[in-house]
Amino acid sequence: MQKKLLLVLVLLGAMLGVGAAAIAQSAKPDASASLMLGKMHQNNGLTCETCHGAGKKTTVPMAKCVTCHETKALAKRTENVKPNNPHNSRHYGTEADCNLCHHQHVKSEDKCAECHKFNFKVP
Amino acid sequence: MSTDNLGEVKELDQYTRTALEHGLSRRSLLSRTAAAAVGLGALGLNDVAGAAAAEDASGGFGKSSDGGATLSFLPKPEPIAESDIVKTLTFDVVVVGAGASGVPAALSAAENGAKVGVIQKAPFALSQGNSGTGINLDKSDKAGIETLVARMIADNQHRSHPALARQWAYNSGEAVRWVIDRAKQGGSPVIDQGNLQQVGIVKLGGYNLDFHTSFFGPKPYTTGDGMRHLAVTAEKAGVKFFYNTAADQLVQNAAGEVTGVLAKGQDGKYTRFLARKGVIMATGDYQNNKAMSDYFIPDLKHMGRKQMGKTGDGFVMIYWAGGVIEPIGHTKMLHDFDAGPATMCDMPFLAVNREGKRFVNETIEMSVLNNYLRDAKNAGHYSQIFDSDYMTQAATWPGHLIPPDGLKNWMPDVPGPKKGVFESFLNTHVADTIEELAKKIEMDPAILVATVKRYNDVVASGQDTDFGKPAKFLVPVAKPPFYGIHRTVRVSAITSGMLVDENHRALNADGKPIKGLWVVGNLGGGFYGGVDYPLTVYGLSLGRCYTFGYMVGRQVAKL
Repeated sequence: MQKKLLLVLVLLGAMLGVGAAAIAQSAKPDASASLMLGKMHQNNGLTCETCHGAGKKTTVPMAKCVTCHETKALAKRTENVKPNNPHNSRHYGTEADCNLCHHQHVKSEDKCAECHKFNFKVP
Repeated sequence: MSTDNLGEVKELDQYTRTALEHGLSRRSLLSRTAAAAVGLGALGLNDVAGAAAAEDASGGFGKSSDGGATLSFLPKPEPIAESDIVKTLTFDVVVVGAGASGVPAALSAAENGAKVGVIQKAPFALSQGNSGTGINLDKSDKAGIETLVARMIADNQHRSHPALARQWAYNSGEAVRWVIDRAKQGGSPVIDQGNLQQVGIVKLGGYNLDFHTSFFGPKPYTTGDGMRHLAVTAEKAGVKFFYNTAADQLVQNAAGEVTGVLAKGQDGKYTRFLARKGVIMATGDYQNNKAMSDYFIPDLKHMGRKQMGKTGDGFVMIYWAGGVIEPIGHTKMLHDFDAGPATMCDMPFLAVNREGKRFVNETIEMSVLNNYLRDAKNAGHYSQIFDSDYMTQAATWPGHLIPPDGLKNWMPDVPGPKKGVFESFLNTHVADTIEELAKKIEMDPAILVATVKRYNDVVASGQDTDFGKPAKFLVPVAKPPFYGIHRTVRVSAITSGMLVDENHRALNADGKPIKGLWVVGNLGGGFYGGVDYPLTVYGLSLGRCYTFGYMVGRQVAKL
């Protein structure tokens, strides 16, 4: 489980684009399962304002995540995940809302588990 | 009575009168007061000021039909700032929702000369199920059609709108054949199954009936894939699809006529879609809107859902545009055709609930079993139990038996390729003892053993003194190996909706059409009304969606 988490995190780090040079090269995450994604982003140089903008910190729409994590590229990166590609499904294609599974300030979840037994490990 | 134009008085039918009296609308609070004063189920109200006042008093939410409850799932829409509307697009017809009624509506409108735009919040067209049926008028006796219509209304506990049932009956054959043809053009492997699934109703009351049935399958290819193929044909016909775009509000002019839709893109910015001839709403049901489901169908509280994103967006939009949600007594559809063979789902083998106890006379069909499993513990779970003699025991039973070798196709524990199924939902098991079977179908072995023992005693006595099942269906569970099909009935759809007239125009609380607004598919009311969706006509749900989409698309385009 730790190994898989590390692998996914390295991939995440590797594929980020514009303005993410620092992230792309470091991606030296703490592979602890309890590290929240929000903290991970912060460890890689992002601030609250990067995602939330100035002012009140409300839910961040998927479009913001996509500025770094382009959906088609992401789907390509995880195309070999078994038993199914979490980022390309018959329900959402490549456009599943990131927030369905990936939470920043609370533990992430496997939304697919509501119906399926894929046992995804979700960072 | 309501007044049409030029003083022509049109008597409202019984269904519509009742829906106006008991349905939910912005004016329902006012209607109740006026009705009480006049002493009638009063109609013909024109007091807009009164309605607005009642609304402000509700604190920005819709109200129940008696004005007593404030409904959190009907929030009054916030006006959208002009600065947030980044684009305006104009079409003849705007369709909201790319599903089993929306895609046919869009293509039908385009074929009749309209410039069409479709707004869909998902990334592509979506639907489910496989079969959609319609009556072949050429080979059906009119008396047979009317017998079926009467049967359909009875299936709906007599609460549906007869005019809509007849609309389906007399137009569905044409619509289904059209869907088959156009889906094929888009690359679909669709076929016409004819009467294959309707064998029980080809002879009704002594009269003849014949059907066309569009079959998108076998699984995992479904009507969802079918509608995606139909959308290919629609795009070739010039229809523009706007995916990942969530319709939010209807645009109305000062006279209350619907002129368009405001929809939000993934970036949070709005597009204004203007419709010169009309907006066709086809957004489906509200099963994923917890507050709305809990209100209209509390029986669904503990039940799983098969779909996602079905949040009743169309209900909210039309309600605030002046429409009427049909009265409480909404129709649910819960099935499990996937855990084991669909053709064995109504076979009256021993059935046990999640605890392992017998709970029903097993001649009750799977399509209504949800009513016996509504509580939090059972939540739709039950298992069919039979032994290795089932092929001879059940040879004449309703449905079609799958032999032991074929049953492996539904067994997740048996390795090997599976055909025609959704692998995620397979849940058929076999074991050499009842105790082992119990573990596989997730119940207490001791309880299941006791249940089977009691059942075998009942069988031996030749009389079902526990549940009254006819003796011919009493067969023992004695010879290993033992089989268990663990089904979990979950919500496929909710099939009650907005009040419409027989031309599928949305009606307001006065019973008058809201100009520019049509409603099709499961968002349209009046077609059902019973406790559960009836399976007398296999494929009725999709058949109706195709038919009304096809008809309304053509109708609006020709305005």
